[in-house]
Amino acid sequence: MTTTDARVETRPQRTEQPRRTPRRAFVTVLSVLVPAALMLAYLSPIVWLVLTSFKNRVDIFSSAPTVFFTPTLANYVEAFVDKGFTENLVNSAVVGIASTLIALLVGLPAAYSLSRASKGEGFMMALLAARLLPAMVLAVPLFVLASNLGLRDTYAGLIAAHLTFALPFTVWMMRGFFLAVPVALDEAAQLDGCGEWGTFLRVIMPIVKPGLAATAIFCLINSWNEFLFALVLTGRETQTLPVAIPSLITPIGTSWGQVAAVGTVTVMPVMIVAFIVQKHIVAGMTGGAISAE
Amino acid sequence: MRWARIGMQAPSLVILMLVLAFPLVYSLLLSFQSYSPVDPAADGRWIGLDNYARMFTDTQFGQAILVTLGYVVLAVALETLLGLVLGIWLSRLVRTRRLMTSLLLLPMIATPLVVGLMFSFGLNPQFGYMTSALQSLGLIGEAGVLDSPVGAFAALVVMDVWEWTPFIALMVLAGLSAAPEAQIQAAQLDGCSTFQIYWHVMLPMIRPVIGVAILFRATEAIRMFDQVYILTGGGPGSATTVNDIFQYRVSFTAFDMSYGATLGIATFAVVVTLTWVLFRYLNRRGAA
Repeated sequence: MTTTDARVETRPQRTEQPRRTPRRAFVTVLSVLVPAALMLAYLSPIVWLVLTSFKNRVDIFSSAPTVFFTPTLANYVEAFVDKGFTENLVNSAVVGIASTLIALLVGLPAAYSLSRASKGEGFMMALLAARLLPAMVLAVPLFVLASNLGLRDTYAGLIAAHLTFALPFTVWMMRGFFLAVPVALDEAAQLDGCGEWGTFLRVIMPIVKPGLAATAIFCLINSWNEFLFALVLTGRETQTLPVAIPSLITPIGTSWGQVAAVGTVTVMPVMIVAFIVQKHIVAGMTGGAISAE
Repeated sequence: MRWARIGMQAPSLVILMLVLAFPLVYSLLLSFQSYSPVDPAADGRWIGLDNYARMFTDTQFGQAILVTLGYVVLAVALETLLGLVLGIWLSRLVRTRRLMTSLLLLPMIATPLVVGLMFSFGLNPQFGYMTSALQSLGLIGEAGVLDSPVGAFAALVVMDVWEWTPFIALMVLAGLSAAPEAQIQAAQLDGCSTFQIYWHVMLPMIRPVIGVAILFRATEAIRMFDQVYILTGGGPGSATTVNDIFQYRVSFTAFDMSYGATLGIATFAVVVTLTWVLFRYLNRRGAA
């Protein structure tokens, strides 16, 4: 990253002039305003959703799009206090946390072991295929199996479904972080009398803590954002937030303000957390297959 | 040593067997049967390759494949072009790059269903700001964009481009940051213009990165579902019925589970092929 900065700065700039003319000041202002305006236009769908969630019915349906209005929290109160969307929020959190914990607990040792093995390319290839598998391919058998086993509309069923992507993701992502730790450390630990588990738990794990945090956050986000499995496997009791949203949109009388409020509450935690893991975002979006660093 | 290794890998393997391998095999078996939970006649009889034969003569499925192909090719091509420009622009920013990158990654991390919802709000014929903007430009009529087949398809492509162009841009940015300095400086000494440096020196260097990015986008775009589900639901008609929407209708609206499984297996075959290509690409790069 820093090397690029240096290059850009040292590149000879032919247009550079020492005098500060009005025209040049105008260009400077433009070079700030134009990207800012473009960025605002680019992010307008997000802004519009958030704005709508604070509008009352009249402001939403005003003939011209309104940016200035009296904000109201009524949509949030109606959706999360009067209607049961708090339950959906809890369901999303329960499924996200449980599937993340299981994936980490089981996936971490496997990722470490695979990072230290000379073979295991077949396993990794299978995991990559699993990461890229369309959810629809699994939705059908999981639905039939869950129905037969009585696991529909239970946390267990949805958590199992979310493990289909959380576990391969954890192994891929964490293997990358483990590979970055020199094997010499393992050897030193083993000379000092650590077994393989001891090396893993006491020496290597503390080193990869930042990577572990990033992996956990991505697991949470992926589970939180997941829609299809939740759509076919949950019912009244276990519906997550993304599944609850379409049920609000009906041909007769949709309360758009409430839809926007639930949508905002769904998407905001993810966007805020995304800032924390920004450095790992390319790795996170590709299932750990590519690390941008 | 050996036992420790087995102890470390076995739990993952067991869980993956249970939640991944077993359902996939089950799905494969299902594709040779006639099974529907709502149809007493379809009780799980073995019907051999009938489902596959049906797939190849199913014009609706063919239509869905065409829509998916058109959408994947169009969206990924636009994303690559725009992402390249955006990535180069980002690489030339000095002070504001971090801020710009942070803002650009918001759409791709956002809940896909809510991304669909955002465009549903923007394109709503009654109160969408995109609708009023397009109407004031005279591009669309009263009914809005989503009412016409072409409009709905275009909305889908634009939504995907909005969501995923930053992904390509970030990959390009990473590739440019890793590009070796020596060649660039040599080209500068030889008197190349900035454009020539980008086109003849840097673009070839980041070509592998772009290839990987395109393949990833393609495998993701093939399974686009959430955003379409809430934005158009596949309509009007079958204009935006992409592969996954079609499969959802077969499996969970008509509850024709065995045929749905067949379509899923076929999709899986395509994705595995793409993954294989991707894996070879990654290995050649030595970055896997």
